[in-house]
Amino acid sequence: MTTVPDVPRRIETDPVAERYARGWHCLGLSDDYRDGSPHQVTAFGTKLVVWADADGEIHVLDAYCRHMGGDLTQGTVKDGNIACPFHDWRWGGDGRCKQIPYSRRVPLRARTSSWPTLDQDGMLFVWNDPEGNPPIEEQAIPRIPGATSDEWTDWHWYSIRIDGSNCREIVDNVVDMAHFFYVHYSMPTYFKNVFEGHVATQYMNGAERADVAIPSEDGAELLEIRSTASYFGPSFMIDDLVYEFDTGDFESILINCHYPIDTNSFVLQYGIIVKKPQGVSDEHAAASAKTMGDFIKTGFEQDVEIWQNKARIDNPLLCEEDGPVYQLRRWYQQFYTDVADVQAEMTDRFEFELDMTRPAEAWSREVADNVARRDEAAGAH
Amino acid sequence: MAIRTTTPGNEKADRPEVRPDVRLETAPMVPVSCESCGITVEARKSSWEQTSIQWHGDLDGCLERRAAPPPTIAGTAFRGCTALRNTLSHAVDRGALPVLTESE
Ligand code: FES
Ligand SMILES: [Fe+2]
Repeated sequence: MTTVPDVPRRIETDPVAERYARGWHCLGLSDDYRDGSPHQVTAFGTKLVVWADADGEIHVLDAYCRHMGGDLTQGTVKDGNIACPFHDWRWGGDGRCKQIPYSRRVPLRARTSSWPTLDQDGMLFVWNDPEGNPPIEEQAIPRIPGATSDEWTDWHWYSIRIDGSNCREIVDNVVDMAHFFYVHYSMPTYFKNVFEGHVATQYMNGAERADVAIPSEDGAELLEIRSTASYFGPSFMIDDLVYEFDTGDFESILINCHYPIDTNSFVLQYGIIVKKPQGVSDEHAAASAKTMGDFIKTGFEQDVEIWQNKARIDNPLLCEEDGPVYQLRRWYQQFYTDVADVQAEMTDRFEFELDMTRPAEAWSREVADNVARRDEAAGAH
Repeated sequence: MAIRTTTPGNEKADRPEVRPDVRLETAPMVPVSCESCGITVEARKSSWEQTSIQWHGDLDGCLERRAAPPPTIAGTAFRGCTALRNTLSHAVDRGALPVLTESE
């Protein structure tokens, strides 16, 4: 038998990396950038200018003009280039200065940083890489068939700025089985993680909670919630989420993504599309996407509340019913490491299946108590 | 992340430091070879229902993996190998793979 010294455990906090993850980051719905004017996005510790040319192609450059430092987000789009408000230098989407109207020629080295972009399924992505290499082909974001199909609704999109928190906190959610009960009002019944390569997956099934009103198709009985959710790279998660009712399946795709503003703040975004149920109007389907999105929003808001007040902890103390926090962070570390230094252990396949026996017992008791208390309170009135 | 900069400002000097799972301090993963394909993984079971599996390198040696459908939009379609799962049960029966709740 080992004896453990009876002293308080100390929270350890390593310095936060002063770099930003390598990979695709979603900046939101691409149509929002297609109004012909420049947009400002603060991300990766800097300011970016985002605009669309006449063909609707979206470009992303560092916002500060390499001439005298003018702010290109205050400029205008001219002939598909971004024109600086200070002296009208014209910058192309490839990062090269195309023209200086008052000069005979453009000086050498007139090139600024440009971000590779991906405009796919209605979303705009930028590739961030501190080493400056082009996007890694195997890390392409998968196509989402529902996003461009008439059988599905359009994106219902949410975006929140979160201050005082590093984006690792949201990534931790992938493995944090227990918080789904306490923070997101779910009742997990099955939970498994698989990490492999640049993908981190969470398989979770859940049941209805009698003490929480989960949006349901009028009067239908919710049998099971099945979710398969994966991060493709450091920041973009696709969740294939199915609500199984006795009347049929309600299918949805939930996006959960973020981009860092700096090392202590980030923008959290989530979007939802639902498959239009048969015999239901488009308006009704859109309304159910919104209802579901708003429900999910409440959960995220509770996450935010937690993140903004919690400590950053690099030595979490875990019980056996917790998910693989350390192994997830080991996986996540690959995106903060130069490609040449990525270790096999960061990308090797790892599986972790949780034993849900105790959580199920404890939580059904808690839910029953909540219902009893609610009924009692209702009876007293 | 656990990046320590030895030379301030020099990103190349950043070396990730990945901490091991605290739960492994008292009960480490143990190597097990699959009865079907021979691949060696490390496994750990805190109870009958809980399983951790660490694979190494490429998985082409695993027959079920090779037969698995391609990944979907929600990630890998290969949840795990049933032959390996059976191997782990046999290892538990033989006493080669401890189940933590059983030793309490
Ligand atoms: S600073 Fe941009 S044109 Fe002079
Ligand atoms: Fe959460």
